[in-house]
Amino acid sequence: MNSSTPAIDIQNLAYSYGKAEAVHDLSLRALPGRCYGLFGRNGAGKTTTMKCLLNLLRPQRGQVRVFGRDPARAEVDVKRCLAYVPDQLAFYPWMTVRETLDYLASFRERWNKKTEQELLDRFRLDAAKRTAALSKGQRTQLALTAAICPETDLLVLDEPTSGLDPIVRREFIETVIGAYQEGGLGERTIFVSTHLITEFEGLIDEFTIMDQGRVVLTLEADEARHRFQKIRARFAQTPPELDFRGALHVRREGRELELIVNGAGPALIASLRQHAPEALTTEALTLEEIFVAALRS
Amino acid sequence: MLFKINFNSGMPVYLQLVDQVKAAAASGALQPGEALPSIRPLAEELRLNRNTVAKAYSELESLGVIETLPGKGCFLKQNHSPLRKEIRRKLLIEEIDEAIVMAHHLQVPRPEFLELVQERLEMLEDKRRANEEHKEK
Repeated sequence: MNSSTPAIDIQNLAYSYGKAEAVHDLSLRALPGRCYGLFGRNGAGKTTTMKCLLNLLRPQRGQVRVFGRDPARAEVDVKRCLAYVPDQLAFYPWMTVRETLDYLASFRERWNKKTEQELLDRFRLDAAKRTAALSKGQRTQLALTAAICPETDLLVLDEPTSGLDPIVRREFIETVIGAYQEGGLGERTIFVSTHLITEFEGLIDEFTIMDQGRVVLTLEADEARHRFQKIRARFAQTPPELDFRGALHVRREGRELELIVNGAGPALIASLRQHAPEALTTEALTLEEIFVAALRS
Repeated sequence: MLFKINFNSGMPVYLQLVDQVKAAAASGALQPGEALPSIRPLAEELRLNRNTVAKAYSELESLGVIETLPGKGCFLKQNHSPLRKEIRRKLLIEEIDEAIVMAHHLQVPRPEFLELVQERLEMLEDKRRANEEHKEK
């Protein structure tokens, strides 16, 4: 495997449940060492996409590759190089935390015991407790521990933090950054689907927003915050009637004007300035605001 | 030193880190020889991609602002301004031009603008002095 082989390469993927089309012609590519976000509302097709990566579902059209391999043909190889935290966690309820980790470790070539202990301590997980008695937050922490210890090149997270309290969510992300990213010298790839975008904002290098099974937007995070802007202008009188076709969204309130733009910022700012505004400010949109703007327009 | 990331600024995240170190060095909030936080705890604390922090540090290193001592960490360099005079001037002129255009649009007249520049310079000078005194104590 050479280093330019994408960690994940999805081309023209389609999947339907009966007549209901969950994913329609989806293409995306996550390069090694990056953190790739898949953003979408509930039911956008994120989990279906993830399941195709893991060979839990067979693509009906298009193709899926993980480090250049087809998960349907090389299932063992593919599973060896990735770890997965699903949105619905299932453990054997009669097993303790200790037994669960030993059981999961038995399928792995590598298992970092030192990391395991550090994470059990960090999460204050009682190794003797049965998984049936764990809270939702603790179950997620156990799943994350089990996903980090094998030290795989790819970590796949499906809605990992939904339904958790803010402290557990924060710890989860810190652990992904600290314990998972630390080991790989910039080579570990993270593929995360979520609709809780704000908390992953600093982690995401590149993202795809999908809606109703289709790609709405794919961009680098820094580039996205550069292109998507909120422009506010206040005029002495009623704002001028300008050509705002370059804007995604226009709001007028008295003498004030608010525009949401994707890339058309400089041109619109120049034309607003010609009308001598009393005040003119711009700010970048956060990824969550971009998500909302992209799905609303 | 403490960092603050603003995702509304539209500036690439690694550049925000670079600029904050440069600003802290200029104001004396960060003293030559003083340590910067190491990459992992800083990335965790700010919940930033580890690679973003690493990129900022390697940028600062190539600019000659910080140096990495193997096994010890990253430190602010003694004499950090590797850029030649013309380049420094050119970089500064771009920023000044932008402020001048802004002043024009906000209808701030020339004397008031110059006065403001003086005021800001003095403020920074005061800050630097306060930091020095604090250091002596």
